Amino acid sequence: MITAADYEQLFAHAPCGYLITDEKWLITAANATFLAWTGYTSDDVVGTFLARMMPMGDRLLHTTRSVPQMQLTGTVSEVSLEIVDASGKPRAALLTATRSVNHDGGVEHRVIIFSAHERRRYELELVSARRRAEESEARSVRAEAGLQHLALHDSLTSLPNRAGLALILERGLTGRAPGASIAVLFVDLDHFKSVNDSLGHNAGDELLTVVAQRLSSTLSSAGTVARLAGDEFVVVEHVGSATDATVLAERLLEMVNRPLEIEGLEVVCSASIGIALADDESSEPEKLLRWADIAMYRAKARGRNTWEVHDPSEVDPAVNRMRLLGELRHGIEGGQLRVHYQPRMTIATSVISGVEALVRWEHPTRGLLQPAEFIDLAEESGLIRELGAWVLDAAVQQGAQWSRLGDGNAPVSIAVNLSARQLADPQLACMVQASLTRYGFDPSLLTLEITETALMENPVMARKVLTTLKALGVGLAIDDFGTGYASLTYLKEFPIDELKIDRSFVSGLGTSDGDCAIVSSCIQLAHAVGIRAVAEGVETDYQRSTLLTMGCDLAQGFHYSRPLAPELLEDWITAQPPSVASGRAAGPGPAHAEPDDDVEMLAAV
Amino acid sequence: MLLRSLVQETDAPVDSAPSALAERHNVRISGRPDGPVLLFAHGFGCDRSMWRRVLPYFEDGFRVVAFDHMGSGRSDLHHYDPEKYSTLDGYAADILALCEDLELHEVVLVAHSVATMMAVVAAIEEPDRFRRLVFVAPSPSYIDDPGDGYVGGFTQQDIDGLLESLDSNYFAWSASLAPVIMGNPGTPVLTDELETSFCRTDPDTARTFARVSFLSDIRSRLADLRVPSLILQCSEDMLAPLEVGRYLDERLAGSTLVELAATGHVPQASAPEETAQAILQYLSAAAR
Repeated sequence: MITAADYEQLFAHAPCGYLITDEKWLITAANATFLAWTGYTSDDVVGTFLARMMPMGDRLLHTTRSVPQMQLTGTVSEVSLEIVDASGKPRAALLTATRSVNHDGGVEHRVIIFSAHERRRYELELVSARRRAEESEARSVRAEAGLQHLALHDSLTSLPNRAGLALILERGLTGRAPGASIAVLFVDLDHFKSVNDSLGHNAGDELLTVVAQRLSSTLSSAGTVARLAGDEFVVVEHVGSATDATVLAERLLEMVNRPLEIEGLEVVCSASIGIALADDESSEPEKLLRWADIAMYRAKARGRNTWEVHDPSEVDPAVNRMRLLGELRHGIEGGQLRVHYQPRMTIATSVISGVEALVRWEHPTRGLLQPAEFIDLAEESGLIRELGAWVLDAAVQQGAQWSRLGDGNAPVSIAVNLSARQLADPQLACMVQASLTRYGFDPSLLTLEITETALMENPVMARKVLTTLKALGVGLAIDDFGTGYASLTYLKEFPIDELKIDRSFVSGLGTSDGDCAIVSSCIQLAHAVGIRAVAEGVETDYQRSTLLTMGCDLAQGFHYSRPLAPELLEDWITAQPPSVASGRAAGPGPAHAEPDDDVEMLAAV
Repeated sequence: MLLRSLVQETDAPVDSAPSALAERHNVRISGRPDGPVLLFAHGFGCDRSMWRRVLPYFEDGFRVVAFDHMGSGRSDLHHYDPEKYSTLDGYAADILALCEDLELHEVVLVAHSVATMMAVVAAIEEPDRFRRLVFVAPSPSYIDDPGDGYVGGFTQQDIDGLLESLDSNYFAWSASLAPVIMGNPGTPVLTDELETSFCRTDPDTARTFARVSFLSDIRSRLADLRVPSLILQCSEDMLAPLEVGRYLDERLAGSTLVELAATGHVPQASAPEETAQAILQYLSAAAR
């Protein structure tokens, strides 16, 4: 027979803490086990809210979760929490409670509290292991993301690099809607090297950064700009048609062409753009890039600052170039190079004052090639030294021959172009001297032309070389003047005799007030420092008469004659009346029938 | 009372063919289909079942919509994005998306505890969506601000303690079935389904939710709220001291403060009738 006293004993000394609270969790009774475990007296706990004995965190959870749960379901079970004991020490416990009606008919909570020290320790260990695992996973995800970003982006512009572009292209090509097209535009800055060389690498980097921003700002949110290397950018954009792509190319050029200020200097950039389109048949990223690259080279060859769309019938120029390089090497050795001579005329009298030597390549299968078709290749490959030396030697030999003839039908002075690479060649002066000596040519009859851009690659070195050459007694000219970034300070310091005004300005005479002013200023500048002004690319009588009015000294161009083989030149001179009336255009070739191809003759790229 | 509301929970008329978004948020719609809309947003620690004792008071006159926040209750955790749900804005966006999806207009949004902060954010974002806001045991910030003397009731350390407590309950909360309590002759027998699913919470989402709830501070945005509101302040609310209700009343345009006799933080559970009547009275006064 179990008595009421037995039950009381059971309550008081049960193996766990028993509490009774009212509906608001106010403690009304606590058993001896609980009091012994916590060190509180009955008076301490009776009349206190149970939550008061919990640390704040548990109190918050109790309030937001256990309290409503009890109200709504009548039970809470195995809530893990801590009870702060009389000494202030938190003791881990599990709380389970039910809601009941007491003998007065009121609601009460019967609460059991188990000491759960071991279990809590164990659980906290498991949770902290889990948190550590999460953290280390998050860290490795972050590190991986960081590495991946580095691997896929260019550090200067933050644009995707070649690898990043490959991914984007791959994704764009596979994910595109049927019928939609993706345009790949290969954008290569023109003459970027000369900016880098003349203004420094910081300026070059700044320019690239600005260009990167400008290209990016031109695109839709779906478009991408990547930087492959140096001054090569690739734009990928979703387009509806090839026309969309060319319109985009125009916009990109316009953005690139806007003047920008770098280190206090206003610089105007241009670019050559090659376009390739992915359609349903052709959608390999590698191939598209290759095609765009090929088209870009065609845009360069067409005179730069323009775009070309890839023509699928076109042969891969890289293969072409390799083959051409071998043929050129062979051609130099095998005597396939020719020198043609273009008359340089005294404008005032229309009498020939000399010639400019210009190289041609008598290609065994392709016919007579203009410098534009092989000079860049020679310059890039280093073959230019050999080629330049050959041209100089041939021209000096020819000049000496004409000199010896000494009749009125032979030109007197000869101008020969030097490339940037030749300028850097320590053997240059020796080589010039050797040619002069070999043929007994009067050095004062030889003028060496160096482009403004080549001079500015390394002005200090250039000045030394020019001074050495000058000491040989030869004349010196700055070629393509106005297209580089030469400062006047340098101009004054170079020992030059002649300023050759770039054809792009001369061609603007009569159509562009700006060009007119530039040509006029160049002439005045030349005269101010006591040297000759020479106009290149004179094609019309109007240009000739304007130059005459401006006081320009010499002129050359199709208006007078195109470059001619030596014997044809002699014929041409013979055909000239001894004292020519001004304005007469003559010569064996069609003076205006074809564009002048000597634009890039030996000019540094 | 308890039993009736439990039966109500399972047998209540629910609109047919809920949308995908509604399913995602475990939306429950009851009451008069053509009635004005009451939308119930639960607070931290539970789910929409927190409202079950008050909903019957509104179902005669209103269209009653209750939902689970993403990460709580029976929301579809496939759509849980830890980044989105680590700020109030993520939850507020869900409220607006639900209104849009269910075509709820002229909404009376009844929000409890931290959901009141979401309600403020949502109603600033789309004031025309809401006719009235009802804040049950609200707080604009739980942490004291010694800088301006604001009393939120807690310190940063207190909140850190909460996160620790969440961890110590991790396994209890993550158990697929809550421990079944032994039979108790004094209480009604609950169906297994209700007992085991009550306030079911994923411990990881609960942690994020706790952070948002207890670390957010929207005091600076109160002045932007244009929708009139009812503030229901409990006595002896451990989470929202009396000062907080008054603080809100002073700073909100068009607010009405009612101090309830109900104690604790969840009057909709402890004093459903008083809570429901206060809301009904406010709405009928507003309608006049």
